[in-house]
Amino acid sequence: MSAATAARTTAAPTIEFEGVSFAYPDGTQALDGLDLRIEPGETVAIVGQNGSGKSTLVKHLNGLLRPTAGRVLMDGEDVRAVHVARLAARVGLAFQNPDRQLCAGSVKAEIEFGPRNLGIRGAELDERVKAALDAVGLAGEVDTNPYDMGYSRRKLLAIASVLAMLTPILILDEPTTGQDARGVARVGSVVAAAAAAGRTVIAVSHDMRFAAECFGRVVVMRDGSVALDGAPAEVFAEPHWPELRAANLEPPLPAVAGARLGLGSTPTDATLVAALVELAPERG
Amino acid sequence: MSLDLAAVRYRYAGSSSVALGPVDLRVEPGMVVGVAGANESGKTTLCLVAAGMAPGVIGGRIEGSIVVDGVNAATLRPHELAQRCGLLFQRAATQLTHTTATVFEEVAFGPCNLSLAADEVVERVWWALGALGIEALAPREPTRLSGGQGQLVALASVLALRPKYLILDEPTSELDPAGTALVADALVRAARETGAGILLVEHKTDVLARIADEMVVLDRGSVAMRGPVADILGDVRLADLGVEAPAKVRLARDLQAAGADFTAELASALG
Amino acid sequence: MERSPLVPDPGSAASSPGLPRNLGLPEYVTRRPSGFYRTLNPATKLAIAALEVVTVFLVPGWLGPIAVLLVLAVVAAASHTARALAVIGLAASPLVISIMVVNLFILPGAVDPIFRAGPIAPTWSGLWFGLLTSTRLLVFSSAVALAYVTTPVDDLLADMSRRGLGRRGVFVVGAAVQMVPRTIERVGEIMDAQRARGMDTEGRIWRRARAIVPLAAPVVFGALTEVEERTMALEARAFTAPGRQTQLRVPADRSRDRALRWAALLALAGVVVLRLSGRVG
Repeated sequence: MSAATAARTTAAPTIEFEGVSFAYPDGTQALDGLDLRIEPGETVAIVGQNGSGKSTLVKHLNGLLRPTAGRVLMDGEDVRAVHVARLAARVGLAFQNPDRQLCAGSVKAEIEFGPRNLGIRGAELDERVKAALDAVGLAGEVDTNPYDMGYSRRKLLAIASVLAMLTPILILDEPTTGQDARGVARVGSVVAAAAAAGRTVIAVSHDMRFAAECFGRVVVMRDGSVALDGAPAEVFAEPHWPELRAANLEPPLPAVAGARLGLGSTPTDATLVAALVELAPERG
Repeated sequence: MSLDLAAVRYRYAGSSSVALGPVDLRVEPGMVVGVAGANESGKTTLCLVAAGMAPGVIGGRIEGSIVVDGVNAATLRPHELAQRCGLLFQRAATQLTHTTATVFEEVAFGPCNLSLAADEVVERVWWALGALGIEALAPREPTRLSGGQGQLVALASVLALRPKYLILDEPTSELDPAGTALVADALVRAARETGAGILLVEHKTDVLARIADEMVVLDRGSVAMRGPVADILGDVRLADLGVEAPAKVRLARDLQAAGADFTAELASALG
Repeated sequence: MERSPLVPDPGSAASSPGLPRNLGLPEYVTRRPSGFYRTLNPATKLAIAALEVVTVFLVPGWLGPIAVLLVLAVVAAASHTARALAVIGLAASPLVISIMVVNLFILPGAVDPIFRAGPIAPTWSGLWFGLLTSTRLLVFSSAVALAYVTTPVDDLLADMSRRGLGRRGVFVVGAAVQMVPRTIERVGEIMDAQRARGMDTEGRIWRRARAIVPLAAPVVFGALTEVEERTMALEARAFTAPGRQTQLRVPADRSRDRALRWAALLALAGVVVLRLSGRVG
């Protein structure tokens, strides 16, 4: 993303969930008195088992769902009072299933859809399309029909189409599902670039490695509320494993190795290697 | 007794390029053969071809031969093939019938199609649900499940047909770590206890490292690497093929690059 | 003898370690409805609905609709479906209003104005004809709806299958019945995704009209790709195997069902014959 475009992103608001509960019409209690505060510019991975309320949580941020109890605030303003179409300028959400989202006949038109709805036209629109395509590595596919692309590329396209809206808050729902190693790395660089531009990035994920390596903060959800919350090194530290496992999650392998070797909390490959390298002279 | 693909090539209907092939592959009873490869390297096509869906149901052109326990798959009708080679699709939602009221009846759909006695249908359903530890889902509405639960139900629906070979297209892609471990364990159990042969497409190489015996890596439709799973997953060429090495291998490599040899410690810590 | 893979040794399902014991056919699969009307066989309810529909349209004047309306009211009260029928009545109200308006003002050949105000001249005959047509429509939709809300879809399918409709026929009927709620759900999800990208679906009419295109594309494309996958998925589950599908539960078909069906069919034939012979109307 160019510096010029990044600069045009308005400052991200503070997000607050105050005792938010949500029940679906069939009675399923998806959120249960959830409290959470996310500061501007944070990168937050929301992890939890299938059905723990992660997707429900993020849909409260752009007004697609309204809490049955409690409040969601952005810079102190109740989200309920804001029109969904206006919230779209502040919160970009890439859905889990790209096939529920893609609607245009070409990759370019697809990416233009969101920014156009926000009133972006002309040179700025072109610039945004180009930046978004570069970010997900689809620059060579401008004229391709999205439905001629494989599932994993459609998914990257769906992310790009939200990226181009340059919303101060970027939400990715299960962005690494179905991606190979290169695809996961792409998504990781998208997160890093958005964070560098000062945007708040929130991702819902099952992928503990992705959460530990690409995010500054990990929120573990269980039964509709927050079970653990902190930096990856805190959340994946050995004392929290019982809670993680109660939420049907497993610490990433480097964390397990680090703990067994008595190295402290090493949630990522890099931290484990660094801890071991530090140990090497002592052993030598 | 084996599922054999010999010099198989396949083109989708209306496409001039080869989507798959040449592929040679053998799955023996009780054995798990892992399949890895970058996105769009032909993994899903391989599943459709091995299960007889392509060209059997969706057309296209095939060369080479697929032989199931000595019988040429091309001579089998789809329902006969379904009882020999069970196929699990990547996304559960498309696999479910959407006409049943409960998970129990959803899993019963396949056995009912085979005109089995009701008692046997019931027994098979409980067996399949139990093998995956999801008996508790039996009364639920199939369209109201989460992605991971749906995937487990779809897998149970295939197990209930009791096929001799299971062809699974990323069965854990939508599952949380516990669900992934559950499916992996269930597959190992199915293979050991009942002698089913499993062809398992999987991005998560940690899962392959744990349960596969052999594996192949696909690249642009053809087999780029094949061999015992430990050899393939330790091969440095894997990264060029868009496949990530398992955590153990990655860490060992990183340490070596940093000039610190902790192979023994790592092995014991991750063993 | 070759042991079938994935099958525990014969008879060992209950004892094999790690395998669940045979728990039998659960209650939620056999679920039996209660109450006189609900426990009727689906075919009986269809026959009664057919009689009601024919009576409403073939018996001239107010006799048919009123007779059927009385029957419906009694059954709805007894089967606790009055609320569901009221909802369906409400859903039909736009149609009813348009029928009333059209007939009231422009019934061809009507020459008995209630009053005149310039070009506007509602007629008495238009009013009566509109009322009659609306009543017929409401009674007709209530009759069909009553059979629908008191019959679980899979009871209907199971009964059709028992009566010899092939598995394809049963599946097509089942899929068609389920298609409406599934499409509504899918459209809801797609709409959410587009609203999240700033599409205004709540604004003025022209804005909403413009919004239909981005909604239609994923609905149509999604449905098309799904058809192929679904075809394969059905084959993978032995859908095209020969023989009759095993039925885990069969809706009861008692002697009273047969009696009611025959009565309904005879009455239906009677109405048709009387109508054709010109004795009524």
